Amino acid sequence: MKQNLAMKKFFMYFFLIITSIMFFFPFYFLVVSITNASVDITRGRLLPGTHFMENFRTMLETTILTRSVWNSTIISISQTFLSIFISSLAGYGFEVHKSRGKEVIYNIILLSMMIPFAALMVPLFRLFGTISGLAPGLGIDTLFGVILPYVSTAFLVFFFRQNTKMFPKELLEAGRMDGLSELGLFLKIYIPTMKTTYAAAGIVTFMGAWNNYLWPLVILQSPRNYTVPLVISAMGSGYTIDYGSVMIAIFFTTIPTAIIFFVLQKHFVAGMVGSIK
Amino acid sequence: MFSKKSYLALSATALLLLSACGNGDEIDDTGIGNGNGDAADDGDFEGASDDPTELTVWTWDPNFNVVALEMAEERYQEDNPDFSLNIVENSQEDVVQRLNTSLSSGVATGLPNIVFIEDYRAPSFLNSYEGSFYALGDYFETDDFADYKLAAGTHEDNVYNVPFDTGVTGLYVRTDYLEDAGYSLEDLEDITWEEYIEIGEDVYEQTGISWITNDHGDLGLMRVMMQSSGVWWTEDEDGVTPYIVGNESLRLAFENYKQMVDAGIMNVHNEWDQFIQTFNNGDVVTVPTGNWINASIMQAEDQSGNWGIAPIPRQSLDGSVNASNLGGSSIYVLDIDEKELAAEFLAATFGSDVDFYQDLLVEIGAMGAYEPATEGEAYEFEAEFYGGQQIYQDLAEWTQEIPEVEFGQRTYEIQDILAVALQDYLGGAELDDVLENAQSQAESAM
Repeated sequence: MKQNLAMKKFFMYFFLIITSIMFFFPFYFLVVSITNASVDITRGRLLPGTHFMENFRTMLETTILTRSVWNSTIISISQTFLSIFISSLAGYGFEVHKSRGKEVIYNIILLSMMIPFAALMVPLFRLFGTISGLAPGLGIDTLFGVILPYVSTAFLVFFFRQNTKMFPKELLEAGRMDGLSELGLFLKIYIPTMKTTYAAAGIVTFMGAWNNYLWPLVILQSPRNYTVPLVISAMGSGYTIDYGSVMIAIFFTTIPTAIIFFVLQKHFVAGMVGSIK
Repeated sequence: MFSKKSYLALSATALLLLSACGNGDEIDDTGIGNGNGDAADDGDFEGASDDPTELTVWTWDPNFNVVALEMAEERYQEDNPDFSLNIVENSQEDVVQRLNTSLSSGVATGLPNIVFIEDYRAPSFLNSYEGSFYALGDYFETDDFADYKLAAGTHEDNVYNVPFDTGVTGLYVRTDYLEDAGYSLEDLEDITWEEYIEIGEDVYEQTGISWITNDHGDLGLMRVMMQSSGVWWTEDEDGVTPYIVGNESLRLAFENYKQMVDAGIMNVHNEWDQFIQTFNNGDVVTVPTGNWINASIMQAEDQSGNWGIAPIPRQSLDGSVNASNLGGSSIYVLDIDEKELAAEFLAATFGSDVDFYQDLLVEIGAMGAYEPATEGEAYEFEAEFYGGQQIYQDLAEWTQEIPEVEFGQRTYEIQDILAVALQDYLGGAELDDVLENAQSQAESAM
């Protein structure tokens, strides 16, 4: 019996260790690679090397990474705040308020999740082409143009509605009794209560925005407006690729998402669990 | 209390958004209809200017295309000091994606003046977006360029491209391994793929090192074989109808490929970096591919002197030659404002400047398809890495022999279908069935 338990433990740890290595290895390789010459990276060298400064210099000389980090930061933060605010307002409304036909509208919104973005791209681009004609500061090749299509997403509306199901509605009654306006109820009662949901939605949205590729690619056209994924993708596009500087760029641009994740991790887990309940 | 926080967050968002908008580029007031909308940005973040002599170029490869453009810009500026280029660099797939989105949505805002397009993809662009490109045939001596390069950019008898790098192929060989097995580079000259496989089996038996490396999903090798016989997998007349069944060249390519796999002399890699890793690590004897691989091969400095380049093997078919092509791109001008200036710039540099091509070869190892340039001194360079071989001379010579092929509009689309067919064939299916299947699939996808 005891032996059985030990075996079980052994297999459990064995499995966990293997899985951990699988997840950890890419990070290890990334960190080691930033110190190796390009040829050593393609050869799969797993030990630290001495080319860190050289890679760093090449990266700075050949790319416009700092600018793109700034662009990505602006886009990701604005997109995160705007979209979780607007989508949570919608999700809250769908769950809390009674209205005829709301289920139909809600289902239509959910259906929009089924359409792949690639299919929407050309019409969307046309739309922004028209916007460019009317208000150049808001159309093609502006950061605003990147953010606008994402300020409300079906997924977030769904996510917030699901989470609102376990929100104690009595709190709203109490708030109304105390004379809060409808918007006040949302801002002063709903948002503080749903902190974990907001954190989870925030992480998902931020990471999505930070890593978003296709739309920024087509809408942003001058290099000074580029986001991080665009710059990194361009670095790896040649007949001969300098993997050293690509690795450094990837390393530095992974840091912000990692920080956001670790800071909000506790809430993230709670928020995700909440959405499943 | 928390509401304060949320108000704060809201106002922060608003602020950021405002600054984001302020950051937005000043797009030309004329907006749609003026393709030169945002031509002013040279990547160094200085403010946009309305300088009419700045042209925007979309391209890929920072160490190759971008450097070549910068060199051309510099040369052109000697006579035209006001001229400048705004080079926008993306990966090739991304350039294709953006060009497709812009052209198919009919929004000209932000279109570049000049764009690089890979030869395989060019016919489909010229055909799908008729009238979007500007004919360049009158701006330079087209006869000075290799026919197969011009063919890619010719649509309804108009030349739309200034050819750039040739993808002339060579059989890159580790001469030291070869000598260990009792062969020399000469043994690989003017041979067929069957002979190539025969020697490969012998070398593999003696050294234990793979003879060739390939990715089963990338049919570049098939394209090389087919072009050496002057054939493609679409019919010449329309460039759309698949030519798979009855295509002797393609059939032979499939057979030869399977022979290599069955003989165990082929190493299988995935993706580009593994490909480079294989020869950088010394795990393969020959690399039959385009000359643009030079720089990647030469980055393994410890292998200097141990490489040589033989002509690519030919197919054992009538008319097949020991010269072929893989990849390579040309330069196109979009039919928008400033198209004449763009055409003049390209004609004066990529279209006619012999010295410029010499510099390109010396600086970045870029081989153009411009024939007059091949007589220059730079082509006589004896590459120590390749045991003193005059590699550029050889490659330039082979360039002239590359058969002209009508690439058609479905090179990559049909490649995807054939890649699946190849897997079936390697898995043991009958070749006739496999090819018929692929033919009907490619037909139904038309």
